[in-house]
Amino acid sequence: MNPPYQTAPSQGLITVETPIGYELEGVKKKAAIQLMGSRLWGRFNPNHWDPVYAHQTGLAAPIQTGEMSSAYISEMCVNYFGANFFKNARFVCKYVASTLANEVITTYGVVKEKTPKGSGFRFKVEFWASNDEGQTKTIGWTEVDVGV
Amino acid sequence: MTTEIRTDSLRPMTNLQIQQTREFVTSLDEVCQTYWDMVNVGEVLSRELHITPELVILYADAVEDYNPWYEGWRMNTWYIPGESPFGGAIVPPLLVSHFVLSVQFDHTKPFAIGSIHTYHDTEIFEPIPVGATVRISAKAIDKFIKRERRYVRHEVTVEDVGSGVLYMRETRDILSL
Repeated sequence: MNPPYQTAPSQGLITVETPIGYELEGVKKKAAIQLMGSRLWGRFNPNHWDPVYAHQTGLAAPIQTGEMSSAYISEMCVNYFGANFFKNARFVCKYVASTLANEVITTYGVVKEKTPKGSGFRFKVEFWASNDEGQTKTIGWTEVDVGV
Repeated sequence: MTTEIRTDSLRPMTNLQIQQTREFVTSLDEVCQTYWDMVNVGEVLSRELHITPELVILYADAVEDYNPWYEGWRMNTWYIPGESPFGGAIVPPLLVSHFVLSVQFDHTKPFAIGSIHTYHDTEIFEPIPVGATVRISAKAIDKFIKRERRYVRHEVTVEDVGSGVLYMRETRDILSL
C-alpha cells in the first residue's frame, strides 16, 4: 500500500503551455515553536525558540530561521516544477521581515516571464510568503527550464 | 505595565523543564566575537557533509515537507533506496543551503548569536542523491555596510566528494551585530 502522500507530478504542474500571469497555489504552515527549536534547525540559537532570550534581545517573540521560509517556498516550487526544479534552476530569496512563533505563513507565486529556450521555455516565477495579516516576510524569484 | 515573559509561554512545561531550559540557554552564553569580526574577506573554509537518510528526514519533517522523493528511510521498513524521477531518493533542493552557515565561520569557535541570514541567490545544477557526501566551500567575498547595518557576503559551492559533480552554487548575506 502506498503511503497517503500528496506527490508532485514528476514534471510539475507548470507545462510549456502555462501562460504568463498564472498563479501558483502555495503551501500554508504554522511557525510552531517545537519545530523552530528542533536540533537540525534553530536549537543552536535561543532567539529561534526561547521567548525569554528573544525578549532580552529585543524581539517580540522567537523568530524562525530564514531557511524554513525558503524550504516552504521551495516545496511550492517542486509542486509546480517537479524534477525540473532540480536541474539548472535558480532561486533568489530575501528575508524582509521576521517570522514570529505561532504565525501562519502562506506562500504565493505568479509566472512573470517565459523565455524560449531549446524546445521549451525558461520560466520566471516571482514568489513571496506572508502571514495571515498580509505582512510580507520573504520575497524573491525562481527561474526554471520546462520542456527544454 | 511590564509583561513578564515566561519560558513556558509558547509551550507547556513543568518547573523542571523550565529549569533545564534556563540552564541550557545560560550555557550558550559564551564570550564570542561578532560575525563581522570573525570573518575576513578572502578567507576560504571547507567542510564535508554526509547527507544520510536520517538527516534528510530530520530536515524535511521540521518543515512538514512529506514528499516521498526525499525518503531513503521509512518507518517500519527503515533503509530504502527510495524513488524519484532521478531514480533513488534525492535531497530536498535547499537542504544543503541550510548547512552553509556552519562553513561560513570557524565552527570550532563560539557561534555569534545575533547574526541574521538575510539573502541567498542559489543555483541548483543537479539533484543530490540521498547518501552522498558533499564538500561545502565558502569564500568570504565582501563585507559592507548598508543603511547602517553590517553585512558579510559569501560565495559558496557544493560538490560531490566522490564524483566531483557540482551540485549547487550560492551567494549569501549574513547581517552581523
